[in-house]
Amino acid sequence: MGTFDIGGSQMDVSWFLLLAAVLFTLGAVGVLVRRNPLIILISIELMLNAVNLTLVAFSRQLGNLEGQLFALMTMTVAAAEAVVGLAILVDIFRTRDLEDIDDLSELKG
Amino acid sequence: MAIAVFVVAALMAIAGGIGVITFHQPIRSVLSLVLVMLALSVLFLLLSAQFVFVVQIIVYAGAVMVLFLFVIALLGPARESGRGRLRFQAGLSGLFAVALFGLIYAMLQGVQYRQPEKTDLNVFGTVQSIAAGLFTTYLYPFELTSVLLLVAAIGAIYLSRRDER
Repeated sequence: MGTFDIGGSQMDVSWFLLLAAVLFTLGAVGVLVRRNPLIILISIELMLNAVNLTLVAFSRQLGNLEGQLFALMTMTVAAAEAVVGLAILVDIFRTRDLEDIDDLSELKG
Repeated sequence: MAIAVFVVAALMAIAGGIGVITFHQPIRSVLSLVLVMLALSVLFLLLSAQFVFVVQIIVYAGAVMVLFLFVIALLGPARESGRGRLRFQAGLSGLFAVALFGLIYAMLQGVQYRQPEKTDLNVFGTVQSIAAGLFTTYLYPFELTSVLLLVAAIGAIYLSRRDER
């Protein structure tokens, strides 16, 4: 049921979903392990890309365009997130020398 | 043929993903992410999502990644202190990764797929069909994304002002 035909060869949508799961997990590990805020932002972009892959894969399997429309919306949100995140980061780096994301702990109660 | 394209693109994407989280220089992480995005764009084309493929290359691999590169060039080489302040952070992260991937994998085993709709694949994913969806059913969310982009632009300009506030 989850298979579809591409150029004469049968592909299974679960391959795409598995690849997306691998990429999403890699991004999550990057967010948890890395200390550099810039690389954490990059890892979040990686996770968003993985989700886009699932949306487009389901869109193809169902023959329904709505998944692709949602992927485009995700790209818009990701672009906005990157712009604001990088602006905040540049602002922080301008006022202090940041070595570690944990240096930003003033809000901790 | 399509399977070979899928395997090559998937291996490129996974290699790039590993590069993103292992390279110590941020610029190498960004270039690895560009590799992931180009590999994913190939997969989008394989899934007959032509418009998403073009947007992925122009907006993502082009604009967003150039923005990241500019910021890295602005901030200079990053110093990353090797140790975390949380004990067992690497071990806990590994445990979390295994649990997360295991959960997603277990979900994938029992997923019930819906019967595909009958669509003409000659027009599937073209600019015309995307636009038809975007400007009829999803007009309201589409207009809201333009507001979102405006807010993001204003926020970025405000945050990067040089004068005191």
